[in-house]
Amino acid sequence: MKHHIILRIVTKLLIPLILLFGLYVQFHGDFSAGGGFQAGVIFAAGFILYNIVFGLDVGRSILSSNTAKSLMAIGVILYIVVGFLGILLGGNFLEYNDLSSTPIRGQLLGVFLVELGVGLTVSNVMVLVFYSFNDISVEKQ
Amino acid sequence: MFARNLFSAIMATTIFSLISALIFLLLDGIDVSLTEAAVGAGISTILFLSTLKHTDVEIKKSSIPSFPLIVLFFLLLGLLSFSVSDLPEFGKFNQTSNSQVTEYYINNSKSEMGIPNVVTSILAGYRGFDTLGEVVVIFIAGVSVLGILRKKKSNP
Repeated sequence: MKHHIILRIVTKLLIPLILLFGLYVQFHGDFSAGGGFQAGVIFAAGFILYNIVFGLDVGRSILSSNTAKSLMAIGVILYIVVGFLGILLGGNFLEYNDLSSTPIRGQLLGVFLVELGVGLTVSNVMVLVFYSFNDISVEKQ
Repeated sequence: MFARNLFSAIMATTIFSLISALIFLLLDGIDVSLTEAAVGAGISTILFLSTLKHTDVEIKKSSIPSFPLIVLFFLLLGLLSFSVSDLPEFGKFNQTSNSQVTEYYINNSKSEMGIPNVVTSILAGYRGFDTLGEVVVIFIAGVSVLGILRKKKSNP
């Protein structure tokens, strides 16, 4: 994609906005529309756009396949750990009331962590699926 | 969709996704709309297109005679249209699915969770266990794709 100068410049302008919107949907999801799932997909879409326009090698130097694999697992583990923290602190599985000083703050913290786990898993799964689809085409050529 | 060219079929699917995202937006389902726009119109289009790179663009003409299929299509259409009459009225206030637990969530979400967005408080709080299952499903899907499409290291 060396000749598509308009595409490259528009992408350069758009990508920070897409990633920022992804972060906004992730961390402001409690107060406005959105949540971890949507944020993960938006973030992954921005990253995949970058990969398509500037080449897979550039993308892989930012997020390698192995890092994405670990982050994907860390998201699920974070979710489960928050769930078991509820048990350890004297509540039920995934009960956030005891995570912080007051129940409301505990709920906010719990929802925040859980959504973070969802976002991590979803975005990295999407990026990994994209990577593995492209690996086939590289092998074929 | 009666497109013989797979590329135009994918584009039609994307546009359909975008339109349904707009429909969800008009129905005040902003969270669902956001998901549909990002997943249906964004990621799945990219994945379809990267799959298309490995296949032929044109479909071969199928050998199945089309007349029985058309009859089947109209039969199913009639059946579905018939069952639509059993659905509750659109936007009806006191139907069964809206009367019990929804009211509790709307009234108590703010005081119990401190989160204004009821959708998030249901997804991550009240129905947290379901969301855990959802995340595990996505994780398993990712692992399966990696397993199916992994590079063969020892290829003589």
